[in-house]
Amino acid sequence: MSANAAAVTPAATVQGGLSKREGVLARLARDRVALVAAILLTAIVLAAIAAPLLAPYDPYFTDLSIAMQPPSAEHWFGADNTGRDILSRILYGTRNTLLMGLAGVLIGGAVGGTMGILAAFYRPLDPYIMRLVDIMLAFPAILIGLAVAAIVGAGLGAVILALVVSTVPDVARVARGSAIGVMGQEFMEAGRAVGVSNRALIWRYLTLNCISTISVFLTLRFGQVILVGSALGFLGMGAQPPTAELGMMAAQGRDFLFMAPHISTIPSLAIFVIVLAANLLGDAVRDVLDPRLQQ
Amino acid sequence: MGPLIVRRLLISLPALVGVLFLCFCLLQVVPNDPALIIAGPDAKAETVAAIREELGLDRPIPVQFIEYIGRVARGDLGRSIISNKQVSEELADTVGPTVELMLGAMLLAVPIGLLLGTLAAVRRGRLIDRVIMAISVAGVSMPVFFIGLILIQYVGYHWDMLPFTGRTGPVWGGGLSSLILPALTLGSVLIGPIARITRTAVLEVLGADFVRTARAKGLRESVVIVDHALRNALIPVVTLIGLQAAFLLGGAVVTETMFSWPGVGRLAVGAIVSSDFPTAQGAIMILAIAFLMINLIVDVLYVYLDPRVQKS
Repeated sequence: MSANAAAVTPAATVQGGLSKREGVLARLARDRVALVAAILLTAIVLAAIAAPLLAPYDPYFTDLSIAMQPPSAEHWFGADNTGRDILSRILYGTRNTLLMGLAGVLIGGAVGGTMGILAAFYRPLDPYIMRLVDIMLAFPAILIGLAVAAIVGAGLGAVILALVVSTVPDVARVARGSAIGVMGQEFMEAGRAVGVSNRALIWRYLTLNCISTISVFLTLRFGQVILVGSALGFLGMGAQPPTAELGMMAAQGRDFLFMAPHISTIPSLAIFVIVLAANLLGDAVRDVLDPRLQQ
Repeated sequence: MGPLIVRRLLISLPALVGVLFLCFCLLQVVPNDPALIIAGPDAKAETVAAIREELGLDRPIPVQFIEYIGRVARGDLGRSIISNKQVSEELADTVGPTVELMLGAMLLAVPIGLLLGTLAAVRRGRLIDRVIMAISVAGVSMPVFFIGLILIQYVGYHWDMLPFTGRTGPVWGGGLSSLILPALTLGSVLIGPIARITRTAVLEVLGADFVRTARAKGLRESVVIVDHALRNALIPVVTLIGLQAAFLLGGAVVTETMFSWPGVGRLAVGAIVSSDFPTAQGAIMILAIAFLMINLIVDVLYVYLDPRVQKS
């Protein structure tokens, strides 16, 4: 009986969610800006995944005879100060930059989401979890990055940790808000009445119903996370040379700005394009899912 | 107003302890045992133990943490490993320039953002609205250092219009020209978000009954927009500016590093790169406390602008 109830209620909700999502996709596809942003972002992700296949040169091979060469037919984006092919480094750098952003958003989303949902489900835990969230909110992301890099040493791991820590409190708040709304729904009461275990209530009833709100929030957050991550890379707290990471590449070109501006401009431009595509897509997703905000 | 500020201060207290604890941790990761360094390589075990006792290093961590809070309260943040100066002195020299930079950025960004946002709302749906919104989306997606690089390269180097390294002095002492480019770089981060939220807020207010009343009374359109609409639209804008303080502080770290601006952010980055833990600890602490205080001020200002908040 109880297993039956557990199977029926959430499944019904999920189905409702799915058909709604189809509508969302169709509406997104009609939005030209969103469509272009989605295509662009997909292309960037694919290019980053296929970096070893696409990169025309070895991103670490230095050829001092072409150092600081501006963009040309052989080297589309030119060469950097040690004569490495910038296009190849951008492809590999995009990998690291996207990885950093994704790890920050996904791990931070999972931890923050769990905290928020638990706070909503186990009310006695709520004040403790939310106080912890308040404390975490007291640290701007860049500061967390600086502190983490100082404690564990600079590196991609330090930046990811900082991005996770700075994503957690905001996601926890969003998840808690959404979960409290779901807790008031009748099917939660019904599930409890027929004796569904707490674990099933949390996973199959609560989490499944909060996941879309959380993912919209994370989509909106992705661009910002990448911006903070590349700023930390720019400050030298992230990936260390010779690894390619877009923020760090921009910083490396800083010393040659007047002789060879392309060395730092091209990686900066790459970050801008990624973040712009992510932001446009995030805005469109939010507009479709939250019609109140549509003008 | 008074009780509210006290309550708000009490809420910030755990966060403050969190900040202090993080900074305390920073001092714990010093790779070498300070007692060993002081005693020298050939010292006997007893000597090292005696020094450890003298420095209080043998006491349990919680006790050391409380002692640390005591030292911080007295303004003793230790000495820099690199310059051997008191960290508190280094901070005193750098806080001014950082505040100057952040105020300069706000002073540039807030009026521009308000103007663009209001313009977009009033001309809603027209070309100018679309252009302004496109600029603001682009601005939000732009890394701070990209704007800085462009300004340095063109305004600073090619056109040779403004200085782009260091700070020549306080604003009143002829330092204004060296402040403009860093402030513009940092401020550009804020213009987009401010313009966006102003547009939304003004649009919302323009549809309100009291605006219709004001128009029906025959008030001039400029009075309706500035006195009636904009003033009420300021509430979300102030909140946003407060929320953006985090962004601004983070941006300040990057901007200071780029323009060799002698502020706290550059001090922090330099200290971390050179493993100067006492200085890093002090700089991070000051930045975090500044952030807590900005949030506090925004919350209080919010109540002042919107008295309805206080009742709830």
